[in-house]
Amino acid sequence: MKKLITAVVSLGLMAGATSAIADMEADRKAFVGHFKSIQPGVEFADYTNGVYAYDAGSRDQFEEILDGIPPYEEAVEKGAAEFEKFGLAKCAALADPAAARLAHPYYDDAAGTVVTLEGTIRKCYNEQTGKKMGPMKGKVARISAWISDQAAGEKINVKVESDGAKAAYARGKATFYAKRGQFNMSCADCHVYNAGKKARADILSPALGHTTHVPMYRAKWGSLGTLHRRYGGCYKNMRAKPLMAQSPEYRDMEFFHQAMSNGLEITDARYRK
Amino acid sequence: MKKLILTTLTVFAFSAQADFLGSSHDWNNGSSDPFKAALAAAESGYAANLKAHMAWRDTGKMIKEAKKLQASGNAAGAVALANKAHTQTVNAAAQTVGAGSAGPSF
Repeated sequence: MKKLITAVVSLGLMAGATSAIADMEADRKAFVGHFKSIQPGVEFADYTNGVYAYDAGSRDQFEEILDGIPPYEEAVEKGAAEFEKFGLAKCAALADPAAARLAHPYYDDAAGTVVTLEGTIRKCYNEQTGKKMGPMKGKVARISAWISDQAAGEKINVKVESDGAKAAYARGKATFYAKRGQFNMSCADCHVYNAGKKARADILSPALGHTTHVPMYRAKWGSLGTLHRRYGGCYKNMRAKPLMAQSPEYRDMEFFHQAMSNGLEITDARYRK
Repeated sequence: MKKLILTTLTVFAFSAQADFLGSSHDWNNGSSDPFKAALAAAESGYAANLKAHMAWRDTGKMIKEAKKLQASGNAAGAVALANKAHTQTVNAAAQTVGAGSAGPSF
């Protein structure tokens, strides 16, 4: 009897583990399909503009800001100068900035981890200067924004191929959908199921397209910030303790999050409220 | 007489022991101290939540605040806050159970 119970429990655990290694493309289609069902009038390509695809009034303000001098323009120019100054082009992974943006995030089988663009920038900066770079704002965000600008108009194309990549993707997916914090909410509760609805005065942005304009400039921050900076803010809003930016958990989540936006154009319009 | 001597010695023994321990000795140590028990539960629960990357935002602050209240002499407030922090850790642990296999509901 004991053996039977052990076998049944083991089979159950194995089945759970297998289902966790999800099919990314099937997930992405279901993800896009969900957004199509809640906002049938919004074209897939328009999700590049994030929340501005949903609300005409906000879109007008967004376009007015872009028509003038966007508040992040100076910071992005500074990022270009810093890229040059710190010799980041000497690192093979960043030698072609547009290609670097398109190649990240990826799963490094040898290292057994997801590598983000900001992770590569920080590593290269350390190699070139011997100094450490913060993971959320300042130099890393400015340089990452400039690199991303070089790939504007290209489409996100995250690849989830190896078993290690699939496992990282599955972990990132679980992190995205897991309920956490005092409000018992998940990222998906706001940015998937309730995207387009209002939370107080703000319209909840759709997760589809979130990663087309990162790092983003937020009026609330008054500066550029990385995707992981935003993750930290969302965690705090859910009353969960934020994880470290560039932690393995956030890198896995970015891997999943970016993959869901495969096919959307990267944009240099990085202003968000 | 014998009884008197025994009583005197007993009283002396107790008072000498009390003097030896000093006035700062906490007689309510161990699990019988409600604050220590509540704090230990909150701290161990919080450590487990942190390890699982599922800690709540304010639990750590509540634990620190509970320690401050205890130090300031507000024992009842300290126990209440430590218990509140412990409850948060229990709820966070409950969230941890399903977190690894969470997925979409559409």
